[in-house]
Amino acid sequence: MNKKSLPSFITVIDIGTQKTTALTAQVIEGRARMLGFSERRTDGVVKGTVIDVEKLHASVHEVINDLERVSQRAVEQIYLSIAGPSVEGERVKGICIVPAHDGRVTKLDYQQAIDSAKRLEPPAGRITLLHMRQPSILDNKPVGNPVGQQGRRLEVSFWRITMEEGNVRFRVSMANGMSITVRDFILASHAAACAVTTDSEKQGGVCVIDIGAGTTDWVLYFKGHILCSGSIAVGGEHITNDLSIALRISRETAEDLKLRFASALHRDQDVNQTIWKDGDKSVGDQQFNRGTITQVSSLRYQEILSFVRKDIIAQLEQIFSGHEVKLDQNFLPSGIILTGGSANLADAAEATQNVFGVTARIGTPKFDNPSLQKPEYAGVVGMMIAALEDAPPVVRRQKGFMDILRDLFRF
Amino acid sequence: MSTAPSILLVGLGGAGCGMVSRIATNLPPVIRVALVDTDASVLNTTAGQEVFQIGRPLTRGMGTAGEVAVGQTAVEADEPTLRRLFNGYSLVVLVTGLGGGMGSGGAAPLANIALDAGATVLSFATIPFSHEGERRKRQAAEALEKLAIKSHGLVVVENDLLALQVAADASLSAAFSAADEWIAGSLRALASVFTPGALVPVDPAALKTILEKPGSPTLFSYGVGQGSGAALVAAKAACDSSLAHGPGAITKVGSLFVQVTGGLNMSATDAFEAVSIIRKKFGGEKTTLLGACVNPEMGDRVEVAVLGASLPVPKPATKTKKGAKGADANQGMFVFATEESIRRGIFGNTPLTFRDGEDIDVPTYIRRSVRLTPVS
Repeated sequence: MNKKSLPSFITVIDIGTQKTTALTAQVIEGRARMLGFSERRTDGVVKGTVIDVEKLHASVHEVINDLERVSQRAVEQIYLSIAGPSVEGERVKGICIVPAHDGRVTKLDYQQAIDSAKRLEPPAGRITLLHMRQPSILDNKPVGNPVGQQGRRLEVSFWRITMEEGNVRFRVSMANGMSITVRDFILASHAAACAVTTDSEKQGGVCVIDIGAGTTDWVLYFKGHILCSGSIAVGGEHITNDLSIALRISRETAEDLKLRFASALHRDQDVNQTIWKDGDKSVGDQQFNRGTITQVSSLRYQEILSFVRKDIIAQLEQIFSGHEVKLDQNFLPSGIILTGGSANLADAAEATQNVFGVTARIGTPKFDNPSLQKPEYAGVVGMMIAALEDAPPVVRRQKGFMDILRDLFRF
Repeated sequence: MSTAPSILLVGLGGAGCGMVSRIATNLPPVIRVALVDTDASVLNTTAGQEVFQIGRPLTRGMGTAGEVAVGQTAVEADEPTLRRLFNGYSLVVLVTGLGGGMGSGGAAPLANIALDAGATVLSFATIPFSHEGERRKRQAAEALEKLAIKSHGLVVVENDLLALQVAADASLSAAFSAADEWIAGSLRALASVFTPGALVPVDPAALKTILEKPGSPTLFSYGVGQGSGAALVAAKAACDSSLAHGPGAITKVGSLFVQVTGGLNMSATDAFEAVSIIRKKFGGEKTTLLGACVNPEMGDRVEVAVLGASLPVPKPATKTKKGAKGADANQGMFVFATEESIRRGIFGNTPLTFRDGEDIDVPTYIRRSVRLTPVS
């Protein structure tokens, strides 16, 4: 209908430990219309770390092939997710002493502070991938946009995401090997948060924990910005592994039992409840005590959550050194949101509430397509949202009268 | 009947000496006991056993302070003495606790000396508790690999797994003594086979037919039953014992040796039934050796011990070849139930993930020593 609105396309790929998901969308008027989605089992990744380059390469290649087939479009540029233990976040600061007599911060001062923060070199062997804005501080008071405000000392800080050099190189060269350029990297936990939280939740304070198969990534928002993030190389596969060791069964059987009977809480009524592996009492069917299953799975799940809690507290102590900060409902009014495949475990939210002492819920991504409205797809859907927000469409155009009207009626 | 001892039971290091000396008092005369350590204080506390203090110039009678190198050098320095010790025995049972300096460093060289002397070497090694820290675990894992290629049979006893067998609120000392008790029971069962008065006596040399080559994967299990149908209970306990399980542990073996020890009123049907349960569970197509023994002191208790070696490896192993070359050639084909594979499962060959000194790939319930509700 509109010749001027040239469409642009966004493709995002989320490589997880268990599955690789990819999504292509057409951007029309700042909204993404899904063109294609593909999903495959990932090979060659354990606990978020690549152990077999060739296998991973093959499975990513298949995902892209599938995606091109369903979306009828060649993939040229992608956004790649980054997660796992090789990703590290830290706070970097830049300071500018406001030179003006009246103490007003100019654009130049602000830029100078930003530059001095970004100029800090990452540790040897690591590459800086992202600088996530944090609130600026003017004379010890947090301010949104410092330009034009009065003060003496302007402090700008970023949450800097770095990754091991080899890891970055490998990802880029893998894409390049398929004649695809990597447009940008997106922090997977931030992506998941984009899919399941609102801006007002981020403003108040919220923590998103993405429990995948191999890694658990978390990110904490405070006053609308990322305050800190982190990753632990433990995930849902560990629950499977624990079950297979405890019940002396194969990994596949353990996975199946986990999906059907495991829980994040061990309840008294589970004890001595007998369950059957297949249920049809055929040859080879086994019976188990449900209490054992929930005992093993709840111990592991709660341990993962307590690891995250410990890490968050350690980060907060570093950031607010000297100030007393409690990880409670006042600090996180919107509580904790769980995403990722392992958020599907029964009673996950309740267990999280017990461990953290704040409200918790399961986050399902806000997306038109109902088949993607599951916690495990928060990552890929959120990447699309983050890509839309962070990078304006490639083709920009002047706003006409009609566009302004359309903007008014857009919801 | 003055038969010369044909079995030598050696305790190595503090833990090994402790376990051996605790069971040494009620062993049949066919078994000779020897304790080997650098620490004079350990050797002095053990009453009445033959002791070999090694590495005296190295440690001046003290312990190895957890240094693997010290343990290894101590054994190598006193090789001539130890060689004389092993002369003329067809079976050497080596008991040691891995993780410290003496056990981790000395076990493999000591087993090698015994191999050279022509003995069949059966090693019992305990793996330290998770709480004992990362360093001891690593030392134990490395030592285990070395010991495996020097022993005909290697039985790994996971302290962590044993801790799961005791009550959840048991004290630390109870957990340790449970580990000791377990090994002691297994050794006693094994020893009773060679007691001259056994119903079905077994020649120590016959064990060689089961443990043919150094480095074949070994299965060991042990169970106790009491009351009516004790033999069956014991057999089932041996089948379900956590030692014979865990992913990576071998479940089917070619050669099997089953020893049933019971009181005066143990019936023949019971004993044979027990053996058939064991065979059904673990295989034993190639050879099954049955040993039975009556011990009036057992009352209505029955003990079942199972020892097995997996089907022979396809490539003929270069038997007892000296030096590292032979060892390297064999290394690829061993499928040991090592500490790693039992406790880490599918993460067995991935890099360790340490947190607060714990390997968090190991199931939480094992690290916390949580007793699971038994399968109903």
